[in-house]
Amino acid sequence: MPKRLDQARPFLTLGLVVAAWLIIPTVFKTFTRASFFELTAPVGVAASYARDLQEYWTLRLHSNSELIEAGRDLARLNASYDLAVQQNIEMQGEIARLEGILRLPSYTGYHSEHARVVRRDFSGWWQRLTIRKGKNYNLTVGAPVVFSGGVVGRVSEVFAYTATVDLISSQTVRLAAVVEGDTRPISYQGGLNPTFGSAGGVIEFVPLDIFASANSAKRLVTSGLGGVFPPGLTIGSVIKVEPSTDGLFKSGEVKLDDRLAALTEVTVLLPLETP
Amino acid sequence: MAADENNLADRSGRLFESQKGYDPRVVLFYFIITALLITLASGLAYQQLFNAELHTERESSQNQRRILIPGPRGNIYDRHGLLLVGNRPRFAVVLYLDELRAKFRAEFIRIRKNYRAIDDKDIPTADQLWTLARVSVVQSYLEQINAVIGRDLKVDSVRLTTHFSRELLLPYPRVEDLAPAEYARLLEHLPVVSPLQLYTTNTREYPFGSAASQTLGYVGINEDVTAEDFPGEKLRTFKMRGSIGRDGLELKFDSLLQGEAGGSIFRVDPLGYRLRDAKPIESRLPTQGQNLVTSLDIDLQLAAEAAIGDQTGAAVAIDIKTGEILTLASKPDYDLRKFAPRLAHGAAADITAREAWTNLAIGGAFPPGSTFKILTSIAGLRRGVLDPTQPIADCQGAIRIGNRDFVCDNRRGHHGEVLLPEAIAHSCDIYFFGAGRLITADLLAEEGRRFRLHERTGIELPHETGRMVIPDPAYKEKVIGEKWFPGDTANMSIGQGYVLVTPLEMACFAASVARNEVFTQPTLLHNPDAPVQHTESIGLTPTQRAALIEGMVGTTTFGTASTLNLDLFKIPGVRIAGKTGTAQKKVTKDGKTGNINFAWFICFAPADNPEIAMAVMIEGETLGENFGGGRYAAPVAGAVLKKYFEKKNRPADQKLAPFKIE
Repeated sequence: MPKRLDQARPFLTLGLVVAAWLIIPTVFKTFTRASFFELTAPVGVAASYARDLQEYWTLRLHSNSELIEAGRDLARLNASYDLAVQQNIEMQGEIARLEGILRLPSYTGYHSEHARVVRRDFSGWWQRLTIRKGKNYNLTVGAPVVFSGGVVGRVSEVFAYTATVDLISSQTVRLAAVVEGDTRPISYQGGLNPTFGSAGGVIEFVPLDIFASANSAKRLVTSGLGGVFPPGLTIGSVIKVEPSTDGLFKSGEVKLDDRLAALTEVTVLLPLETP
Repeated sequence: MAADENNLADRSGRLFESQKGYDPRVVLFYFIITALLITLASGLAYQQLFNAELHTERESSQNQRRILIPGPRGNIYDRHGLLLVGNRPRFAVVLYLDELRAKFRAEFIRIRKNYRAIDDKDIPTADQLWTLARVSVVQSYLEQINAVIGRDLKVDSVRLTTHFSRELLLPYPRVEDLAPAEYARLLEHLPVVSPLQLYTTNTREYPFGSAASQTLGYVGINEDVTAEDFPGEKLRTFKMRGSIGRDGLELKFDSLLQGEAGGSIFRVDPLGYRLRDAKPIESRLPTQGQNLVTSLDIDLQLAAEAAIGDQTGAAVAIDIKTGEILTLASKPDYDLRKFAPRLAHGAAADITAREAWTNLAIGGAFPPGSTFKILTSIAGLRRGVLDPTQPIADCQGAIRIGNRDFVCDNRRGHHGEVLLPEAIAHSCDIYFFGAGRLITADLLAEEGRRFRLHERTGIELPHETGRMVIPDPAYKEKVIGEKWFPGDTANMSIGQGYVLVTPLEMACFAASVARNEVFTQPTLLHNPDAPVQHTESIGLTPTQRAALIEGMVGTTTFGTASTLNLDLFKIPGVRIAGKTGTAQKKVTKDGKTGNINFAWFICFAPADNPEIAMAVMIEGETLGENFGGGRYAAPVAGAVLKKYFEKKNRPADQKLAPFKIE
């Protein structure tokens, strides 16, 4: 082989690989990508289990007295929750009765699926989590994900044992929200968030008679009208609204819960099948 | 060596070959090539240096497109800041066809392949295949919408093709006027990045429906949106439809209310599709037009319209000091809400059939009847032919003027020898026939012109009629071609004959009399710091003015408008100075000819320290019907005045805080 051609061999090989990648079918590429993820997923899942084990042994180090004290506090908390649950059941019955009288369509019912967070991915490009449940728990793309502080995001990809959740700080997530106490739906969308900065979002189509500022922030909650999220879940705090130039609406900024960056467990809401 | 140099075969293959020797024929080619090079260089220099701008423009027009989006119109408020006309957002789902180029092509190939596979001999033409492909792709997007909001939308292929060929870069609206719940569902279900997007437009909103409809006016579609100071005027431009004022304040103040259009300039490929992920070269957001604060008081306006009810007529209320119009009502009217987003043909035909387009307060000229007697009184007093303490006629119900008998239409005559105040209060025609004779037609007309009743008021509204007439002998000679008779003077002195005025003019006249001046400039614009208007004084002595006012107050207390003494209209502590009128006009209705009456009432209040003046005109519907001003027009004024003083005297803690206009 001539020396000059021999020197060009790496470039030739690279060119051939690129050409092959361009011409091979999309199905194959999708398969390889999915396979790659499925193959590497256990690494993350294993690390997650290792972290759980680590936390388990950390907890084991607590004294019996501490555990007894924590158990007592938990029992009290459970008692108060039991009471709240009873009240909620009664209220739900009342709501159902009123909906029946007024012939209102009832909101979608949900089944809760709790899942541990495997990985958090915050960057200028992605704002998402990987959770430790997937097709094995019948998770579906688009399902709402919540935590004790409100909305987490929506499931964007589902794999065999894991799923990816786009956080509400991501620009790919949009919700129909309402300002607490108001009934008019407005558009919430994740903002352009820096990697280590506090997360935020933007609201649009805000009615002109809604006012909010950093000093008198308003709670932004899900409207329930969009059909994905149940109503009343906290999205964040509206810290700024200003009129748009067309005079029809206002637009504004929303500060999200700082705990979104440190989530260890979330709940996926799976719509119940209508009988 | 010499042999070598001359041998061409030997020199061939050397690094440099040379032509030795001189051939004169070559010189010719030097000149030709030099000339050609100079021509090329000159051409290049010309195109690059002198035509550079032209080429830049050509390049831009070939690969750039401009999109213009109209700005929302400004709002219209009443004098207290209540919104009369605003903008209502309309949510829509639109499809950006220019982002679907790849999908259209893929679908085109798929359909063509299918036809070829079945070996169909009637395979459509390429154009038809493209249309099929576009319809198929757009329908697939519509299915997404259908699935979310449960509709059954289908592609209109003709509309799609038209939009594709003419407005490719504009959003293609699929569903307009989405309900809030539909909008919310689409927000959560449509992908954030998709050719299918939620979009907002706006349309006019009228919180008070038909109130002041002809005064506020309406808007129509504006196909020719322009954007001042936005570059790219010579580029191919796609324009979203805007709105333009067609009548009323919307038309008169269109340039003020019109928002400033926004726009973008994009690079496109040779087929006109926007370059993928291309950011706009230029972009500007549309801005809302300026707001207009009118002098109207919506409470008084509603009171006037409710009082007129289903009758045909007009009512004008005016602030005496500033000339600001508080009420400009005209019936029949139309519901402005039917104009948003656009007026249907049926609704337009209905308005035409009801003759509701015209604002009768400014667009109709009517004989003012006995309300004109105030002008006759002023003319007589100023000329010294009327003395408030001396009777000038003995009313026995009729009088012969020329060769015709004129009767006193009010209270069936027999007023006897009345003085001016009683003559005004009881509207004695015989008294004013005498007054007219003493004043003469020319001087009476001169007085009318002094109050500017012969010309437009110049109010800020389109279509103010110019048909008002203050006649005199010269007018009759010129227009009718006949001589002026004493009977014409008699008719004129009681506001009949050829006299024609608008209700707005009569309201201004009443305001002027209240201020003891000759003219009131009406305005529909509110200025909280407006100065008091001042024009030439009427020129009455205090005694003469007192007699005039006494007569006008008598009208509403014991005279022809004593209806206002009823508890329904009585305003504690407020005396109203007014004058009724009833004029006839010969018309032909349903094949029958006869007189219809116009019931009039002009007034101001309080009589002692006037604040508000009014003119009301109600048109009778039935031929020959007795339709008096005291019975039909005065109650309308009574309702408005009552509302005015009710609002004014409302305790401070019950007053609504003025709406803040940003």
